[in-house]
Amino acid sequence: METVLEVRNLTKTFPKRGSREALEAVADVSFRIEPGECLAVIGGSGSGKTTVAKMITRLLPADSGQIFLMGEEITHAKGKALRTIYRKMQMVFQTPAESFDPRRTLGESAAESLCNQGIGKAEAASRVQELFLRCGLPEEYLMRYPHEVSGGQCQRAAIARAAVLHPALLILDEATSALDMTVQKEILELLSELRREEGMTYLFISHDIALVQQFCDRVLVMDQGRMIEEGTPDEVIRAPRQEYTKRLIESIL
Amino acid sequence: MSIPTIRKQKIVKNHWKIRLILFGILAVLLILTALFSEQLCPYDPYLQNLANAKAAPSADHIFGTDRYGRDMLSRVIAGSRTSIFSSLILVAVITIFGTVVGVFCGWKGGWVDSLIMRISDIFLAFPGLVFALAAAAVLGGGIQNAMLALAAISWPKYARIARGQTMAQKEATYIQAARLSGCNTGQIIRRHILPNIAGAILVTAMLDIGTMLMELAGLSFLGLGAKPPAAEWGSMMSDTRNLLATHPWVPFAPGIAIFVSVTVFNLLGEAVRDWLDPHSER
Repeated sequence: METVLEVRNLTKTFPKRGSREALEAVADVSFRIEPGECLAVIGGSGSGKTTVAKMITRLLPADSGQIFLMGEEITHAKGKALRTIYRKMQMVFQTPAESFDPRRTLGESAAESLCNQGIGKAEAASRVQELFLRCGLPEEYLMRYPHEVSGGQCQRAAIARAAVLHPALLILDEATSALDMTVQKEILELLSELRREEGMTYLFISHDIALVQQFCDRVLVMDQGRMIEEGTPDEVIRAPRQEYTKRLIESIL
Repeated sequence: MSIPTIRKQKIVKNHWKIRLILFGILAVLLILTALFSEQLCPYDPYLQNLANAKAAPSADHIFGTDRYGRDMLSRVIAGSRTSIFSSLILVAVITIFGTVVGVFCGWKGGWVDSLIMRISDIFLAFPGLVFALAAAAVLGGGIQNAMLALAAISWPKYARIARGQTMAQKEATYIQAARLSGCNTGQIIRRHILPNIAGAILVTAMLDIGTMLMELAGLSFLGLGAKPPAAEWGSMMSDTRNLLATHPWVPFAPGIAIFVSVTVFNLLGEAVRDWLDPHSER
């Protein structure tokens, strides 16, 4: 089967404020994700994980390198091409409440991607309703505003919004970090269920290595914009090769 | 929490609805008065009756008459058309123009933003009155030119608000989520940016109706706006100011009209602000 996502030598620098130097946020990152796989990218704050996710989703342009989604290069995709790409790839953000327009109901926000794909309003509404139910949100949540629901419910709605187009790849950027332990567990169960039923592929960005161990198939460790280690979660936790990985594990265990 | 406390909180939360309805009705009444001023005037506002000049308020003439015996109530009603409509048109024009410029600059950024913002700084640096005097000198007096002068110095405020709000919203996570939903720039601005910045702009606009009403009246008072015998509240006050000591009801009538209108539009502006707050209970 075709590789879902392939990233080759991805690099991104940001200008430093009040200085001529540039901050290397991501340097020469390469990896691939196979169908149905859950790949974790872990690292501390500022290690470049989210920048990688934003470059993959084209929310940020890459300085150099290449990104392939289902075999098609998307590194410089623009305009209408992006709409096609977002049908295959979606993202769930860290702060669920902030990822919804405060002036729109959860249902309206979730239906927007379907409407943008040319699907009629009624059809979009029924598909969103179906997915909300699958994500554990009763019908009345469609009419609620983001500030009227809890963090966990909002994240369920965010997952429903991302899954409504049945994308092949779902990028989860610290999707459970802002939630408490019990809600985190529920969200992970929901994600496992969706993965099982839809055959989705996940790029799971996290700083929590323990969480990654129970949820992901493979893990990449990032530090200061570089990929420093790769392996299965068990391998990385039991025999970390890099000093930074050891510190990351010690901080949790 | 006791039931009375919950009820009290609910009343406080819903307070804006009452204010919105009350001041909304009053503002609509003012606008309707301006719209149907010809039908509502009990007398011809321009008809002179020197025999009944400077008459004190009575059942026949509630606000009395001016030095030419013209009914002040009729003149105040007739003046509402010029005063209120000029302010509304002026605020609508500067709000739309300023918002378009501000959203464009905030979204685009870069040198285009810097250039337009420096131009707006130039307009902001002009004292309103001096600019109006200069405009009157170049274009001549009259209410249209007074409006033009005020529009030229007032739009940058809206551009600045819209720009700042757009810049803040542009970076918000939900805008990134909208991008991932397949929205293009136009759709993001129309569906997400504008509704989310409209509150701040609309409140400023509502509060500006009162300010513009006063500024236009001020310019007319100085002879730079509407000219006598046109019924306009500012020029009516100017025209009758020397009667303040002897026949105070004459300048008081347009003064009260200005006071009431400005108060109503300002309080409506505040109620609208609370209404547009996404966290207010719906």
